[in-house]
Amino acid sequence: MPIRPRTAALLIALAGLILLFAGGAAGQALPYERPVEVAPQEADIGSGYTTPPVQKPKPRSYWLQVLDVVLLAVAMGVSVWLVLSRRSRKWVLALSVACLGYFGFYREGCICPIGSIQNVAVALTDTRYSIPIVVTAVFFLPLLVALFFGRAFCGGVCPLGAIQELVVLKPVQVPRRLDRALGLLKYAYLGLAVWLAVQPFAQREFVICRFDPFVGFFRRTGFAHMLYIGAAFLVVGMFVGRPYCRYLCPYGGLLEWVSRLAGRGVSITPDKELDCGLCQEACPYGAIEEMRAVRPKCLYCARCFAFCPREGPLAAKS
Amino acid sequence: MSDDMTRRGALAKAARGAAALALGGAAFHLVRKAEGQIVWNVDPALCINSRLGETGVEVCGLCTTECVVSQSAVRAVNEFSKCGRCNICPAYFNVTSAVNEKGLPSEKLCPRDAIERKPIGEVDPDDPANNFYEYVIDEIKCDGCGKCVMACKEPLGLGSIQLRVRHSLCVDCNRCAISIACPKDAIEHVPSERAFDHVQLGSHP
Repeated sequence: MPIRPRTAALLIALAGLILLFAGGAAGQALPYERPVEVAPQEADIGSGYTTPPVQKPKPRSYWLQVLDVVLLAVAMGVSVWLVLSRRSRKWVLALSVACLGYFGFYREGCICPIGSIQNVAVALTDTRYSIPIVVTAVFFLPLLVALFFGRAFCGGVCPLGAIQELVVLKPVQVPRRLDRALGLLKYAYLGLAVWLAVQPFAQREFVICRFDPFVGFFRRTGFAHMLYIGAAFLVVGMFVGRPYCRYLCPYGGLLEWVSRLAGRGVSITPDKELDCGLCQEACPYGAIEEMRAVRPKCLYCARCFAFCPREGPLAAKS
Repeated sequence: MSDDMTRRGALAKAARGAAALALGGAAFHLVRKAEGQIVWNVDPALCINSRLGETGVEVCGLCTTECVVSQSAVRAVNEFSKCGRCNICPAYFNVTSAVNEKGLPSEKLCPRDAIERKPIGEVDPDDPANNFYEYVIDEIKCDGCGKCVMACKEPLGLGSIQLRVRHSLCVDCNRCAISIACPKDAIEHVPSERAFDHVQLGSHP
């Protein structure tokens, strides 16, 4: 095999290096010889040298994480108050935009109650897995609120809900049977997610997080196929109100169960006769049946109040 | 009628109370075994780039390509106290490239030129073996490709460079995308106080 000039030069140089650094070790087979055996310390280096510290950026400080939980709790409280007491569509929309900004675009969508289902499932089954208190709080707080007041989290706080709420353009009423059938999908998804999460560590898969349709938008980066799926959800969401929330969101499934027990929730003009049905037409989520809000399906958007001739601005005009 | 209503009301209240208790109990159980703040971390003893004995293999660049952050939150870190401060650093230079007129390899190893070579003290041109250099990795440029980690690994280097998750950049995904892809399951979820230990690779065969 002919030796190319470059290789020859290299070999000569390496031989030189080895001679320089390792003294008599010139016969070594290794083409590159480690120049030193131990790291020289400050005393060997001399001339007042001090070892620079290694940069160790700390994770987000703990009180900021606690702040997230506090903000979540406060936002849900405000959502309950705006919808049940103030009965204001405008303000609850403003709240959800604010939460979209904070929990979505600023906090980049993690950690969220939807994904925390998996952590809780793993923590309950795997004794070695522990979940931070913050994640536990994020999972249980919206459920507790739903137990007493319905799905206040969905309407005013959830960034995934808010981004879909903003694109609702011309919603069609999904036929009730189809709506029910599609609604079962989220329970299948919930079961699948829990099943994949409780696998042993190596096979464990957090499928909800992996196929979160909107987190790519929140982070302004992500895998192309997920961005397309997210965009598809938003396009469909123009004509079918909040498709992810109603048909796929596994946490929505849990909230649906829990909010069946809720003592309070959205009620349309409870002290007046109902006859016009404008609210039923206004609700993009098919959550009003017989002119009464169905608690498990009601997403706390407060549109029904805004469209009611006996409520708020419309009542004041007439 | 009103009797029925109150019975329904009482039942609803009881169901609500039971559900609240169940949720609270589960939450309490989880809080009791909680371990503070948990972060993603690269275990250098498992990472193919720094793991001892993994020689003659391709550098694994999955930390660079799989992270959801556009420039990966995994970066190379040089533990200065372990660094040989060599004249010819195998992680800084491409030691298989042609030697230039200064007697140094002509090419650098880092594809993003993220390592800076700074002489320490006076440089004696006649005695290169006794000149020391500080190798500082530029956090802004590095994308965690791991080439320098592989090159610095013992026995050719001293193994002072390891890949680390920069927690100020990591967005704390619930399930780290790199951990799904990592062929050696080297991405672990650990309490934050354990994340900064420099692992003595010699003790992990």
